[in-house]
Amino acid sequence: MATHKFDVAVVGTGPGGYVAAIRCAQLGLSVATVEDDRPGGVCLNWGCIPTKALLRNAEVVNLLSHAADFGIRVSGFEASYAEAVQRSRRVADRMAKGVEFLFRKNKITLFPGRGTLRAKNVVEVKGTGGVETLEARAVILATGSEPKSLPGVAIDEKAVISSNGAVRSEAAPRSIAVIGAGAVGVEFADIYASYGVQVTLLEALPRVVPVEDEEVSKELARTFARRGITVKTGVKVAAVKPGGSGVVVDLGGEQLEVERVLMAVGRAAKLTGLGLETVGVQLERGFVKVSPHMETSVKGLYAIGDMAGAPLLAHKAMAEGVVAAEAIAGKSPRPVDYGNVPSCTYCRPQIASIGSTEARAREKGREVSVGRFPFTASGKAVALGETEGFVKVVADKATGEILGVHIIGPEATEIIHEFTLGRTLEATLEEIIHTIHAHPTLSEAALEATLAALGQAIHI
Amino acid sequence: MAVTKVVMPKLSEAMETGKIIKWLKKEGDRIQGGDILAEVETDKADVEMEAFGAGVLRKILIPAGDTAPIGTLIGVIAEPGDDITALVASAPAGAGGAASSGAQKTPLRPEPAPVPPPGAASAAPQAPRQAVAAPSAPQVPVARPALVGAQASVVAGVGPGQAVIASVPAAVAAPAAGASAGGRVKASPLAKKIAAQTGVDLRLIQGSGPGGRIIRRDVEGAGGAALPAASTASGAEFEDVPLSQIRAAIARRMPLSKAPVPHFYVTSEVAMDRAWELREQLNALEGQPKISVNDFVIRACALALLKHPGVNASLQGDAIRVYHRAHIGIAVALDDGLITPVLRDCHAKPLAQIAAESRDLAERARNRKLRAPELSGATFSISNLGMFDVAEFSAIINPPEGAILAVGSVRRVPVVDDAGLGVGRRMMLTISCDHRVMDGAMGARFLQDVKRLLEEPLRLLV
Repeated sequence: MATHKFDVAVVGTGPGGYVAAIRCAQLGLSVATVEDDRPGGVCLNWGCIPTKALLRNAEVVNLLSHAADFGIRVSGFEASYAEAVQRSRRVADRMAKGVEFLFRKNKITLFPGRGTLRAKNVVEVKGTGGVETLEARAVILATGSEPKSLPGVAIDEKAVISSNGAVRSEAAPRSIAVIGAGAVGVEFADIYASYGVQVTLLEALPRVVPVEDEEVSKELARTFARRGITVKTGVKVAAVKPGGSGVVVDLGGEQLEVERVLMAVGRAAKLTGLGLETVGVQLERGFVKVSPHMETSVKGLYAIGDMAGAPLLAHKAMAEGVVAAEAIAGKSPRPVDYGNVPSCTYCRPQIASIGSTEARAREKGREVSVGRFPFTASGKAVALGETEGFVKVVADKATGEILGVHIIGPEATEIIHEFTLGRTLEATLEEIIHTIHAHPTLSEAALEATLAALGQAIHI
Repeated sequence: MAVTKVVMPKLSEAMETGKIIKWLKKEGDRIQGGDILAEVETDKADVEMEAFGAGVLRKILIPAGDTAPIGTLIGVIAEPGDDITALVASAPAGAGGAASSGAQKTPLRPEPAPVPPPGAASAAPQAPRQAVAAPSAPQVPVARPALVGAQASVVAGVGPGQAVIASVPAAVAAPAAGASAGGRVKASPLAKKIAAQTGVDLRLIQGSGPGGRIIRRDVEGAGGAALPAASTASGAEFEDVPLSQIRAAIARRMPLSKAPVPHFYVTSEVAMDRAWELREQLNALEGQPKISVNDFVIRACALALLKHPGVNASLQGDAIRVYHRAHIGIAVALDDGLITPVLRDCHAKPLAQIAAESRDLAERARNRKLRAPELSGATFSISNLGMFDVAEFSAIINPPEGAILAVGSVRRVPVVDDAGLGVGRRMMLTISCDHRVMDGAMGARFLQDVKRLLEEPLRLLV
């Protein structure tokens, strides 16, 4: 058993951990990282990246199915779900290798194994090769989160799977009930439906993607229904039991018989086995309590990413990783602006949003003006044959402050950033409308929705 | 040997040009540092201009009786052998000429100490000019109104000659927080809009964004991300209570008024017996809003302001803006500070309406329910501490307003009149005035009218 000394030890190498490690190295600190899976965490290996590969497959399948709309007749094409999953694994592998490369480039030492705090500055790593001890001036915890289930429902990753099982399984079921219509649920609903799986999407709240603007939820439910996805909102899952040809979902009165169930009801911070109790780290509602500079209640011990609280998003984790690294290096970084973290869902049509929904803005007592622009009126969208959705801008009536933007439609997740930047710079509607948007682009819809909020839309 | 340029010095805050009353030295006279060269008439006074270089007064460029902008080359001191032809040629032709010389780029620097010519005499004329231009310190935005300029006034008030030069760096080093070189205020578009709507002067604000950029929370008065939590340990000897947003805003704003705005105060005692009686009669009427003493004061001020527009005025850079409408700010005490909502067009509103609206404003102020437009645009303010049994006090002007009236309690006091000793109701009024906008007599005449209106209160009803 050897003891290694570093300036910083980072436990977990997901998007929070690996970014923090690289930023620490850039600032001249010696860095050790600890990982019990491949570097890259859930994001690169089991989440964001492989699902984006699968969604791209789904998109290609959909495009081929509608090739006739473009005057292209494709007869009898075969879409292999197994190969789609295999492709997604290759994509994930490549990205994970990329992180390993970045570690080497930045002279970051990777310790494979499970990390446990023995003291606030001592991490014990249990790997296949034995036990190593890391002593560091500062420790960053970045162990992420794992899928939650409903009470009384066990995830066996066979009949009842989580996203972890869903990205691994090369066999698409004939039917599936997706429980939870948040980002994970609707993305898998899209993937499965594209491959001909009979999908039932169940949501306890009154609408799909319940954190998004109501109009976005309505539009998604409408397009999903049109694509043959059964959407049931406001339903409570009373029980999930084996039965029939697979699983029976009891909706309290209605019985739903499916081959498989995907649990997508949310994620919980991974906190067990880390030794948090040993050093007395304070928790808050199931997450580690942190300061604006990501320091926990224990001096010199930092926590970032999913384990440090909502929103559970890779890009928020990366931003926190930079803040933690710079704080450790003695800089005074700007804390993460949690009010300005974009939220993106990659189903088709895509969903992206920033800031407050219209309802939330009104609840806060703001007098708002709202501008909408549908992609049906966008030349680029019509040319692409992707006319579902709209851009909705919610602004403060008096000042033109951009309170929130909600996009559903083609490349929504790319369009959102002009508003994110705008909000960072405290731009108002006026600055957006004085920004010339290239024609023809999907981003013109952003300009038009902004104009509409001022009652000046040209193309509608 | 030294060639010294004599330029029109900036001798007072508002001075932009100066008139040479007379030259006390003539061309060819030998000059010692400290000699009085000329008398200059500024906007405020006639001031003697000292020499700060030694040599011979070789050239007078601006003759007596003529006017020149500050910074203009008006004369040259040099040794008889020095070649000054290029320097003289570079001077603007005649009085008040075009501002084209290098020296005029730094109007606050009348003339630096003599610069030794580098070597060849022919190069000498150029050298001083470069020496003036080279330090090109951030230009103090002298033309900007109020506080930026006011910082310069500390300098300008000192006097002519070297003293001014010595103080210039202080002025340069103290630009208003958000204002950067050249006077541009670095602020986000949203911060600018909120500032415009709430009447906040961005130049008074310290920006907390990148590079000192003023962002929304600065304008809204937020003290920053994480304020230190108050110590709650029992038995502690003291407690640091974090500034509330409003207290932080007051703390930031008030010194910015009191220091650069030259206040003067005029106090007057008002006989309130008749107003008191009238108020009791009015408040006995059914269906009428209850009218307070302050409502009488508001109405009286509104009428008096129309008659004395010089008091209903504000300094706007190089102009005094005189308002034709009386928008009166009414200071309302809150638990953690005070706020001054604005009652608009008081001159056009009957007493009952003033009473109803001021009550509504005060109530909403206490409940933090005021809308942004109700917090800006006052042309005059009233602060009334009468409810605290205060005999009299003086208030700090809320810039950019030109004056504020401080109202004390209506007290029953012994009074002597023709009938002898009696008991009367008296109230003290103190007006604080911005001396840059008005003078004592103006304030006094205004106060006299307010007093008359309150002492003959029926005038407030017609």
